[in-house]
Amino acid sequence: MLDGVRVLDLSEESGFLAGKILGDLGADVIKLEPPGGDAFGRRGPYLGKEDPERSLRWLALNTSKRGITLSLASERGRELFLELAAKADVVFETGAPGALDAQGIGYASLHAQLPRLVWCSLTPFGQSGPYAGFRAHDLVAVAMGGNAALTGDADRPPVRCTLPTAYYAACPEAAAGIAMALYAREKNGRGQHVDVSLHECQLATLVTAPGQFSRIPALRGRTGARLGGTREIWRAKDGDVSFGLRGGAARAPSLAALVGWMAEEGMAAPWLLEIDWQKYNHNTLSSEEVARLEAAFAAFFATRTRRELYEQALVRRIMLAPCNDAREILEQPQLRSRELFVTLDYPELGARIEHPDFFAKASGSRIGIRRRAPRVGEHNAEVYGELGLDGASLRALARDGVI
Amino acid sequence: MAKPSRMFEGLKILELGAGAAGPVATRYFADLGATVVRVESAARPDFLRLLHFKPGDPHGLNGGVMFVLMNPNKLSVSVNLSKPAGIAVVERLVGWADVVSENFSPRAMAKWGLGYERLRELRPDLVMVSSCLFGQTGPQRLYPGFGGQGSAIAGFNHLTGWPDREAIGPSGTITDSLSPRFVALLIAAALYHRERTGEGQYIDVSQIETGVYSLSEAIVRCSALGEVLGRRGNHAEDAAPHAVYPCAGEDRWIAIAVFSDAEWKRLGGALGEPGFARDARFATLAGRLEHEEALDAALAETTRGHEPYALMRRLQAAGVEAGVVQSCADLLADPQLEARRHFVRMHHRHLGEMDFEHYGLLFSESAREIRVPGPDLGEHNQQVLSEVGYSADEIRALAEAGVLE
Repeated sequence: MLDGVRVLDLSEESGFLAGKILGDLGADVIKLEPPGGDAFGRRGPYLGKEDPERSLRWLALNTSKRGITLSLASERGRELFLELAAKADVVFETGAPGALDAQGIGYASLHAQLPRLVWCSLTPFGQSGPYAGFRAHDLVAVAMGGNAALTGDADRPPVRCTLPTAYYAACPEAAAGIAMALYAREKNGRGQHVDVSLHECQLATLVTAPGQFSRIPALRGRTGARLGGTREIWRAKDGDVSFGLRGGAARAPSLAALVGWMAEEGMAAPWLLEIDWQKYNHNTLSSEEVARLEAAFAAFFATRTRRELYEQALVRRIMLAPCNDAREILEQPQLRSRELFVTLDYPELGARIEHPDFFAKASGSRIGIRRRAPRVGEHNAEVYGELGLDGASLRALARDGVI
Repeated sequence: MAKPSRMFEGLKILELGAGAAGPVATRYFADLGATVVRVESAARPDFLRLLHFKPGDPHGLNGGVMFVLMNPNKLSVSVNLSKPAGIAVVERLVGWADVVSENFSPRAMAKWGLGYERLRELRPDLVMVSSCLFGQTGPQRLYPGFGGQGSAIAGFNHLTGWPDREAIGPSGTITDSLSPRFVALLIAAALYHRERTGEGQYIDVSQIETGVYSLSEAIVRCSALGEVLGRRGNHAEDAAPHAVYPCAGEDRWIAIAVFSDAEWKRLGGALGEPGFARDARFATLAGRLEHEEALDAALAETTRGHEPYALMRRLQAAGVEAGVVQSCADLLADPQLEARRHFVRMHHRHLGEMDFEHYGLLFSESAREIRVPGPDLGEHNQQVLSEVGYSADEIRALAEAGVLE
């Protein structure tokens, strides 16, 4: 879909996924690293010994990119960056606001001479405003963006996901902003600056809770395994499952099917069988009624493994799902049937690793992983060769610490 | 700089579906000037119109707070799809549209005869996106579900919370908020492709797969090392302290993240060199990770007396990552969000003053606007149907035949 689009990806870890998305969609994404490689982005865990070329985080999030090294701290490095930018459609960066412009190579510095260039900046709080200079990786963005306050139990501190959901929220949005700006450029010939904030992107994970909480008391604090006023996460014999105790037309058959199964197993009390699930409304239950319902379902779930519950859920169309770990995701038959996973070869590491390929199928475009993540400076000769630099020039640049 | 313009002025999007996952995706385009028409029905209303409904609520389907907040700038047409004349109305709208975005279960569009093969006859360069929980193919494609199941299956629940408690997942069923961004991305990329080639296409998105794709790191680590990541509260494998710490006030917390030893020294300096800042156990990252429990306890004792925002500003000024754990009320007063005009307060005819939200993108040459709240069901029947060529008499006849319900 983005074939022929060239992207210079200067991003640090927060933006890796955005560049990957563009590459998986067909763009020619050139990842810039400082000479020697992006030490933080290539940190562990490693496949085997400690080695930036073995960083699994790097390998996971930089597929479909070519890789070059370039020092923007040197005058010659900045000249080369300008030459690369002149041949690019998009620059994507995660530097502190104003940092690249201070070196004369930011959007404000280059827009006049490269008016077609789309420039996307992904930063913790955006390009302007009182917090623009604040620093944040995932945890601080998740806290400031409102999700942490609502995640976790009332008797413990707010909590986050083990992996950086702030990046996962912002990266597709940055990629979308870039695609939108490319579309606009087709219409009017001009590039523009796309300003993406980790903090502001986090708010979308609240699915409009800030606008609702004054009317909906359940959105005011942490409710642990409950969603709103009723339980959503339940203990099965060997782990947790998700099952909403909320009503409504779409959920009523699922509730009735579960109670039907419980009755077959002799675990549905008469009062439970009397409930008309089509008329059931979770918004009007008393706390005693909620407690009685939850106790009945919890007792049933505790007698079954997640697999047993999910197998019956599929047969009986009960809206229940296991809380999968990575191994279970890799074994999930539905995902396998859609060929979500692709095995990439890493011959120099003696490894074959499965990656999620792409989350969509398109009738008119080949989308998905094109190549494994690059080694440090893997495509220096190829990319700088396009600028007319030969082997001797590259060796000299390497000696001077430019590449 | 050129005067900000509406990036998608003239673009027409037809939306069929419900909830958050589909409708959030088209918001980006609506806020940037596209005309987005929702096809809905009273017989099978969007569940968000009834999410907090109690008998006796005076506004019925038009009083759904979440629906109104999630669908500003959109037009609503009510069509009864169980009637052939209703299908004909949708077909007319497809001929008018550049994009069709739908998030029904996979059977629905085909059942109505509105699959891509039919729709492309009506509009050859149509961009059509279907987004459902599992995708359009595979053995579980017809299994019903909501975002709660999506987040669980995709792996987010297992990774969020405390190791000794339930797999709760990030608040807000994260596949409902992640997948629409991916849908918006694909719509934009497909429109770009169409601008260059003249070709439309059909895109099949699995909401669960957008989650698994985002969690590529977990999958790759499992495949390569057999490692199964789990819940670890707020701790990280490469930073310490890395958690939220109590502050003065009820349920007030500050997040602090220290990755390097240099940041650790700055933290100690900013806090006035409390005793623990000189504790030799905490001098290196390895030591801080090893003694994390003691470290957290000592830091919490120090933060406990501080007003959270003042402490955040002090730590940030010293070059330490820190941020207040903000509640919904805090967000509405957040000066950074105010500077970006994230919230737009508008009056809704049934619900009164409401705070509508933008997404996280700002464009230098394209304005994002929230002009009107989410529509009443069928509010724009007249306007939209006349735009696609129905006469006033025809519209009246459709209404009398119960087609516009």
